[in-house]
Amino acid sequence: MVGQSSKIATLETAVDMVRAACIFIASIALVVLISTFGWLVFGRYVLNATPTWVEQLALLLICYIAFLGAAAGVKENTHLGVSLFRDAMPENVQKILMIAIDLILAAFGGVMLFAGVTLMQFGWGTLLPMLDIPESFRTLAITSCGGLILLFSGLRGVLRILSFSDWHTVHKDLDI
Amino acid sequence: MGLTILLLTFGLFVVVGMPVAFAMGIAAATAFWYEGFPMLITFQRATSGVSVFSLLAIPFFVFAGEVMLHGGIAARLVKLAAALVGHLKGGLAMVNIFSSMLFGGISGSAVADISALGSLLIPVMKERGYRPDFAVNVTVTSSIAGIVIPPSHNMIIFAVAAGGGISVSKLFLAGVIPGMLMCFCLAVAAYALSIKHKYPAEPFPGWGEVGRSAADAIPGFITAVIIVGGTLSGVFTVTESGAFGAIYALVLTKFYYRSLTWDAFVLAVTGAVRTTSMVMILIAFASSFAYLLALYQVPAKLSDLLVSVSDNPIIILLMINLILLVLGMIMDMAALILICTPIFLPIAKGLGMDPTQFGIMMLVNLGLGLCTPPVGTCLFVGCAVGKIKIEEALKSIWPFYLAILFALILVTYVPAVSLWLPSVLD
Repeated sequence: MVGQSSKIATLETAVDMVRAACIFIASIALVVLISTFGWLVFGRYVLNATPTWVEQLALLLICYIAFLGAAAGVKENTHLGVSLFRDAMPENVQKILMIAIDLILAAFGGVMLFAGVTLMQFGWGTLLPMLDIPESFRTLAITSCGGLILLFSGLRGVLRILSFSDWHTVHKDLDI
Repeated sequence: MGLTILLLTFGLFVVVGMPVAFAMGIAAATAFWYEGFPMLITFQRATSGVSVFSLLAIPFFVFAGEVMLHGGIAARLVKLAAALVGHLKGGLAMVNIFSSMLFGGISGSAVADISALGSLLIPVMKERGYRPDFAVNVTVTSSIAGIVIPPSHNMIIFAVAAGGGISVSKLFLAGVIPGMLMCFCLAVAAYALSIKHKYPAEPFPGWGEVGRSAADAIPGFITAVIIVGGTLSGVFTVTESGAFGAIYALVLTKFYYRSLTWDAFVLAVTGAVRTTSMVMILIAFASSFAYLLALYQVPAKLSDLLVSVSDNPIIILLMINLILLVLGMIMDMAALILICTPIFLPIAKGLGMDPTQFGIMMLVNLGLGLCTPPVGTCLFVGCAVGKIKIEEALKSIWPFYLAILFALILVTYVPAVSLWLPSVLD
């Protein structure tokens, strides 16, 4: 039992590191976005030479900020939602609903992952204008998001099932 | 049948507590599947929905607001507001409202406003004998001015949800008077309550102090001037203005005010990432959801339904406002802008309402929703900052609700409130 707890704790740490990595990469993307856009404004209005690649890079970076941040948001439970109806239910019903949401969201993440991989295959032969890299790099963001949601939400759902009597809905999460 | 599946799936998942963005995504994927379209379209549209040039302004606005929040600008604005209006009856309440008008105009975020100003002003108000619920209610309700006073990222979301064709610079201009009107109405309510509860006025610090406070706060204002002025003058696009404003805010707080530490910078960046991604994922899946709403001709059907109740524009606008108020009580603003704009905007246009006026009406209305239970982000944050229970705040919040409702009625039925300034300056 103790061994199982330590394995779960290790898993929690690993998954939290993945979440932190998502926020880190998205933060770097935001800093690069702001810096390069600043360079674009400077180039356009001061140097009179617009760096045209910046706009395409910005449209690529925003996908990573949006989708990696959104995946981390699933782990952190920060997405906007309406919990008042669920909160009005008895504790066990709330738990079942929360597990159902975790698993459905994980399944949706799985579909997103699968669809993303398909979109990446479609886009491999098309290059992003000005950047000359495959379009697949744009869809990689939503593909990663799908995989991460599958991981974060699926794992939380499974752990909630395994420890059904050990957690309370008032805490909202299982720290995983 | 497809529409029923779309709405039922969405409604069911929202009710059981699924995050709204994913509820929209799952509902859209299910409807696409039912209609025999590949589910892939949901994700293709989600990606293309995010890769929109004008949306790039959102992370810039949000980042500038976060830098202002963590970079010590709020204290300077409070100092200026205290010097200007602190000597009025209920002085600190007036300072609170006036500070919100100034800070909201820079950060564009109601929650940032409450976090920054509430943590500064609520404890001082309590110390000076103001009731805690009064202090919280003033802070919470005045914070929503930032949603309407430019620059506001919610205006960008509205412009995108409207499907293009709405000028962001016109929206910026249109929000100025309604935002000030809201603050004025709130100040009247706060003044009346201050007389009733005998809240004190602060001593006037003298014009020298007013000048010094203004000189200290003005560099902060320039952020808003860069963003709004750059866009209005046509020198910059809204996205370029946002980027320039964000960099200016960074340079200002780091090198001029010297109040932005490395930790504060990290907080600002990660905070901006979290807010941006939360909004962007909503936009991503709302893009698929709105596509299906249009495919099923929901705006036309709802328009027919509303017209069947009454063909009087005043009644129809009242009904739209009531629907938005009810939805605003249970759902958050960005999601509702994205869902309701494609539905209600065509109806409003059909009544002869200017889309810009409709946008401002919607922002004021949904802003009020942020202060109402059971789901009111601003109310929750305000109560947490003021360390009081929500029930305690609700007992005395009604005068402030009425003040905002009065402003909402004027914005809805008097086009000049929002359209006069754009017509003069555009």
